[in-house]
Amino acid sequence: MNRFYWELIWYKATSELKAESSRSYLGFLWWIVEPALYMVAFYIVFELVFQRGGPGFIPFLLCGLIVWKWFGSVVSGGANAITSNSALIRQVYLPKYLLPVSILFNGTIKFLIVMCLFVLFLLLNGVVPALAWLSLPLVIIIQFLFIACIAGFVASVVPLLPDIKLILDNVLMLLFFISGVFFDISLVPENVKAYLALNPMAVIIESYRVILINGNWPNFIMLGLVLFLSILLLYVTYHIFKHYDRVYPKILI
Amino acid sequence: MYNSEPIISLKNVGVSYRRRAGVLRWNKYWALNDITFDLYKGETLGIIGRNGAGKSTLLQVLAGIISPDKGVITHNESTVSLLSLQVGFLPHITGRENAILSGMLLGINKSEIEKAMPKIIEFSGLGEFIDQPVNSYSTGMRARLGFSVANQMDPDVILVDEVLGVGDVEFKKKSAAAMREKISSNKTVVIVSHDEKTLKDLCDRILWVDRKGMCVEGGIDDVLISYNQSY
Repeated sequence: MNRFYWELIWYKATSELKAESSRSYLGFLWWIVEPALYMVAFYIVFELVFQRGGPGFIPFLLCGLIVWKWFGSVVSGGANAITSNSALIRQVYLPKYLLPVSILFNGTIKFLIVMCLFVLFLLLNGVVPALAWLSLPLVIIIQFLFIACIAGFVASVVPLLPDIKLILDNVLMLLFFISGVFFDISLVPENVKAYLALNPMAVIIESYRVILINGNWPNFIMLGLVLFLSILLLYVTYHIFKHYDRVYPKILI
Repeated sequence: MYNSEPIISLKNVGVSYRRRAGVLRWNKYWALNDITFDLYKGETLGIIGRNGAGKSTLLQVLAGIISPDKGVITHNESTVSLLSLQVGFLPHITGRENAILSGMLLGINKSEIEKAMPKIIEFSGLGEFIDQPVNSYSTGMRARLGFSVANQMDPDVILVDEVLGVGDVEFKKKSAAAMREKISSNKTVVIVSHDEKTLKDLCDRILWVDRKGMCVEGGIDDVLISYNQSY
């Protein structure tokens, strides 16, 4: 991808962030307030209503929610990436994969800010940085690629089969419930556990917790598998985009 | 008249759209059929045709926005852009930021747009409003900004779909004059219009496009006469 397009997509992503934040009174603060409110809702349900929390539940839950939010928001945004820019792509030629990439950048900037705050929160709560924290950037990069392949894939097929968008919302909800965002996957019954552990988001969320909260190294084999899967799907997605690059503007009428 | 190589050439180009014909069933419908012509460097080609004849689709094919489903289009190392106003405008960011974003979407480098910014501000007459969010603009102000940005485009081939002048009477005159200057310069231009006077003033040659395929290509007067007789 040439430099011009990178510059364009970066400018588009940051402009959209600016536009988003100027739409409300709290502006940029919403990136932090929104996950906090989200977190409060889950805290009320699981800690206060179901009494399932126990000690250390807040960092555990926060970690899951922050990591999930990055994935969930980029994937559901990616589903609309091409359709919501239909006017634009009928007027100018753009490599269409730039549209989900712009959403990915947007979501990643927000995630990195919130992640920094989460680490700060852990430090303030007496968590001591461990050597294993060095593997955090690796997990972030793997998650970035995993989000890129799923969001890109969804973005590339939704214009062709709009019905997928309706299925996607429910799939995302199911995935949210089985990724161990608010429960510990290692505590579910053995016969189910094996299946749940195959879910890439469960692997990723677990890795963040193991690193940041327990101070241990993550399961590099599982992460490697997620990385391999992501690269494979990215390759497929790239070819779908290439094939339909100059067809999408025709479909979206 | 044109001894140079064509800058774009089309051979039997057709574009089909998918039309829904029931659950999981679609049929094809050809919006553009069997178009063959060459576009030469420096000329201004007019395109006429009834509504739905595929004129805008043809411009999209020329601009490389969509690829033809039939036939071949050959670009000879040229940049081709559709003149579009207010492309990618976001309501919540300033006029200046929108000018940069829109300009980049039209294929201009960020540094070039920044360099041209004084010209854009001057031409649009927006003054200090340029640093206000675009949602505080009137429709006319938005049109002025959109045009002033698009006016900075400098592709080898410029495609114009009916837009010559925009905004209030004064700005309409100014923008139409700028467009005409661009068209009558050495630029290669393809212009779709229903206005015969515009076509007569600006074009060297006219192409009449019809649903069933291209009808006539030739001198302005000849084509316009047969076009008008076909009603």
